[in-house]
Amino acid sequence: MSLCQNRLQEERKQWRKDHPFGFYARPQKNAQGVLDLKIWECGIPGKEKTIWEGGLFKLVVTFPDEYPTKPPKCKFVPPLFHPNVYPSGTVCLSILNEEEAWKPAITIKQILLGVQDLLNDPNPESPAQAEAYNMFKRDRVQYERRIKQIVRENAAP
Amino acid sequence: MSDGAMEQLPLPTSLIEVEALIRALYQPNPPETISRIQEVLHRLQRSPEGWQLAQSLIAHREDNIRFYAALTLIIKLNRDSSGLSEDDAKGLLENIIGWTIQSLADGAGNFVVKKLCTALVTYFMHFSHLWPSCVRHFIYCLDLGRGAPVDSLDDALATDVLVGKLDSQKLRVAMWFAASFVEEVGKTDMSAPKFVQVHGRLVKNGPDVACLLARGFSPPQDNPELKTQGEALSCFQAWILYAQRAAAPIPDLVGPLRQLVGPAINCFADQDLFHTTAELFSDALGNYSAFFTDEHYSTLASLFESPWAAEHYQRVLHGNHQEDGISFGLVILAYGDAKVQDLMRSTDTRSQRFLESLSGLLAADGYLVGEDTIFVPALEFWSTFIETMIDASYSDEEAAQNWKPYAEQHLKTVVMNCWRKIQWPPAETFAEWDSTERIAFGDARKDVTDMLQSVFSLEGMSLVSFFADLFLQALAAQSWAELEASAFCLGALSDCISDEAKYDQELSKVFASPFFDLLGQAQGPIPLRLRQTGLALIERYCEYFERNAQYLPNALNLLFAAVGDSVLGGPSARSISTLCSSCRSILTGEAGAFISHYQTIRGSQVLDSLAEERIVLAISSIIQAIKDESQRLNMFEELYNTLKKDFELAVQLKANPSLLNLQHPDFLRGLDPPNPQSAPATEEIALQIALRSMRCLASIAKGMQDIKEYPVDLDGESQSQNANSRLAGLQENLMRVLVEVQRVLGASGEAVEIICNIFRAGFSETEPGPFVFSPDVVTDYFVQQRFETPRVGTLLSTACSFVGSLYRGPKAYVPAQLARLLPWVISILQALPEPEADTEISVNGITFTDKVMSKYPDVLFHPHHAPLVEFFFLFTIKVLDGNEPLPKGAAAEFWANFIPLTAKPPSTSSRTLQQTITNAMTHLGPLIARSLVYNIGGHAARSELDKLCEPLKRLVATCVGAQGWLMQALVGDGNEGRFPGAERVGVEERGVWVRRVVALRGARATNQVVREFWMACRGANFTYVS
Repeated sequence: MSLCQNRLQEERKQWRKDHPFGFYARPQKNAQGVLDLKIWECGIPGKEKTIWEGGLFKLVVTFPDEYPTKPPKCKFVPPLFHPNVYPSGTVCLSILNEEEAWKPAITIKQILLGVQDLLNDPNPESPAQAEAYNMFKRDRVQYERRIKQIVRENAAP
Repeated sequence: MSDGAMEQLPLPTSLIEVEALIRALYQPNPPETISRIQEVLHRLQRSPEGWQLAQSLIAHREDNIRFYAALTLIIKLNRDSSGLSEDDAKGLLENIIGWTIQSLADGAGNFVVKKLCTALVTYFMHFSHLWPSCVRHFIYCLDLGRGAPVDSLDDALATDVLVGKLDSQKLRVAMWFAASFVEEVGKTDMSAPKFVQVHGRLVKNGPDVACLLARGFSPPQDNPELKTQGEALSCFQAWILYAQRAAAPIPDLVGPLRQLVGPAINCFADQDLFHTTAELFSDALGNYSAFFTDEHYSTLASLFESPWAAEHYQRVLHGNHQEDGISFGLVILAYGDAKVQDLMRSTDTRSQRFLESLSGLLAADGYLVGEDTIFVPALEFWSTFIETMIDASYSDEEAAQNWKPYAEQHLKTVVMNCWRKIQWPPAETFAEWDSTERIAFGDARKDVTDMLQSVFSLEGMSLVSFFADLFLQALAAQSWAELEASAFCLGALSDCISDEAKYDQELSKVFASPFFDLLGQAQGPIPLRLRQTGLALIERYCEYFERNAQYLPNALNLLFAAVGDSVLGGPSARSISTLCSSCRSILTGEAGAFISHYQTIRGSQVLDSLAEERIVLAISSIIQAIKDESQRLNMFEELYNTLKKDFELAVQLKANPSLLNLQHPDFLRGLDPPNPQSAPATEEIALQIALRSMRCLASIAKGMQDIKEYPVDLDGESQSQNANSRLAGLQENLMRVLVEVQRVLGASGEAVEIICNIFRAGFSETEPGPFVFSPDVVTDYFVQQRFETPRVGTLLSTACSFVGSLYRGPKAYVPAQLARLLPWVISILQALPEPEADTEISVNGITFTDKVMSKYPDVLFHPHHAPLVEFFFLFTIKVLDGNEPLPKGAAAEFWANFIPLTAKPPSTSSRTLQQTITNAMTHLGPLIARSLVYNIGGHAARSELDKLCEPLKRLVATCVGAQGWLMQALVGDGNEGRFPGAERVGVEERGVWVRRVVALRGARATNQVVREFWMACRGANFTYVS
């Protein structure tokens, strides 16, 4: 079995044993019901005591063949209104960037927690969409109102 | 803090003073006193006298002072080892061993002896070459009762004999050392050159450690109170963990360690050691199954068949998990995990019995997860088992699958046990759970969903029938919890089966059952949870309802009836929108009924606003499917008129606040949140009434989108939008209302945002509809907006989408629209106080112009627009020189698209146009070159480089003057190129770089060359700090 598959099996095992509350992360199944370990469907809950609390956001994590040498790609489906999420939904985060802070030792749990932190703590240094970035910078009241609306539309069951 | 508190204490001048300080350190004292003492002691430890200090204090009768001396030794070893000569180092080792033995003899506390063991390990890390056989030597010294030279080990007896002579006290110390040894060395990187030999020498100690532990597992009988098996187990576990983490197997280590598995298994029998032993085995079996041999596995399997095991198993099933733990259950699960392949393929009685016991773990007493903690790990095992089965059914030959009926038998028990386990507790029990327990319960149900989907891929139809039958049985018995669990499990399978008709017969048993009649009774017997699951089941099987339309009206009636409910309203509205959207064509006859349903609910209560948006979306998607146009518009108008009244009310209320009547639902709609602590201003209520209905209108626009696609004749004449005067009238009315609402209440950006969403819904449409406005109407709306309009950046981005939709439609319309929009867009950019004041405006303004240029350069470069275009070019240069990544990226892309036009004119372009572009480039070439050099020369962020490379590549590949412009930008008139890294990169290097870039002629390697130059300009040391 390849390094990538091995590591993903292990990640899956670790996730089952220990994962943070309110999150989910599972490999997708293909048409025959067989798992595709390289595409995971995950849910990121908004953090308690933030404007994101109560929301649950779907994130698709795709692992390249070179994983864990190269980082996975994380994409919100549908794309999320957030300064560090590209219009395509892809998340811009240093630990997911091969040239920045990605390290092969970073686990799926750390990635998902990192994305959760990013929700309420955007990084204005790396804007990825103009709409959310601009509103975040220029009109915080309107920005927060918009987030609350999004949380309602994506309420955790 | 006063100055006095910051003052350092003076260094103590006598040993007595030092001892006093150490004592004070371990006594309750204010934090600042402690930190001052720590500071002075640290200084002392780090001073050259530190060694002496440790030596003087180590024989002290007080444990705290001895402990501090050991700590000092560790600090000195880590800081100052390199200052010791080989002889000093050898002497030091003898001393530390001697002190350790002495401390033991003096009856010093365990924490002192353990710290001295750590000091010995620290010694090994620095001087492993002087002390390669450290374990054997330490045992030898323990036996001697003093520190001895390492050389004298040659004459010593064999290790097992030496170990045999140790009393249990010394045996424990030896094992503390061996455990600390492997833990500390294990923390270092095995492959780092600095530690390769340290690890090599550690491994060579393996046989001695095995000797030691063998004795530890069967301690001398001198003091039965002083058992050593506990220490042996911890030490053994540490060594197994080390062997497991090694990149490649280490036979020299694993061989001796394996000898200890038998003695370790014997520890299970000791009540005091049971949990430690169980933890060791579940850990090692779970993470390092290759460590165990067939013989070990068979010993364990026999153990699991013993009466002893049966007793433990019963305790897991019926005992109190919080108090007694679930160690035994975890061990057998770990065993199952390690042997899953064999167990799955086996048909013998022993394996079958073992698997039965594992499926039995899914049926322990108590509720998930607060009481029953074994269920989740057991489910994890079974999920692995099932996945292994799926893999095997693809890979194994059919003939070799005689194990399958056996395995399937177990699956039946697993499924049945899970179905029982996920049943909700009575509401009063659930109410007592804390939030953690509630979430964990929900998570466990989700895990069961996953497992069932896997089982489905093996069992197919029979699993569906199984749950359908359970459903009907539970219904007949009115057993609500069981009925809920059955409906939940059927819902779990919906992803696998809902689009296949072959399961409909089974599903019809469920959907035709009297359950759904009961569900419809407002005061009926069905508890809330079951109602929720029942309604969710309808939503999950919406494809089934498409095929079996006879059940659809009943299902929708149920959902509509639940819309007003505070708990069920949200999910019901979502189900309604899913069902109506996908079954729209069979529901067209119901549109009128649904509209009156909606109006009735609205008239009596205020719906949750999101639920309302979903309901109008549902209704409008049915309206969209009505074939007859006039019928369709009738229905649309009826729905729209309901909302239009809200807009009128909002406008009136704004003008005349005294109209406010908070007893009436029409006004209550304006409260957001629905029950505010204090009544908001009337103006705010008016705004919210309007916004709420605007969001509904946007939902209607989305619902009216066609789900089919139609071909478009790009070269055809644009359809006359006024062909249907009724539709035109409706659109005119819609526009008038929207503009009026924006005029009256438009200070809020939200109104503008929603108008944009309404427009966007129409852009993707190819057939006429109420929201498919004619391009003129859309353009008219845009050009009336000013820089001061709130959310003007969003308007620009909507204009970009508009251009995209124009490009997908008939061409005839396009140039005229662009020619009107372009001056408007650029006027907004001109109104910006500076290019970075609003990034959304800058990005979308640049993207818009880029879009125009890409298809209609003659519109952009029309002489009429010359002053605008000139402004725009300089604007993009300013953006490039700025700091905002997004506009900068858009500007770089614009330039990358513009530069090639100067060489290869679009086929449609005229000679005048080409001349204009060429002239522009002659003028702009030096400017863009300077801007690129400024960025690549250190100004840009690393993440921007790739984007900036694109215009650079096009520049050198297209423009003859590129080399000169770049050189000029880099060197200037007097070797004074203006870029941040000018001081770091010499004139000659700059020239070499330009020549390399030019020689690459835009090839991919340019990015690397650019990156290197940027690094040089930033200072070579610049790298990401990780």
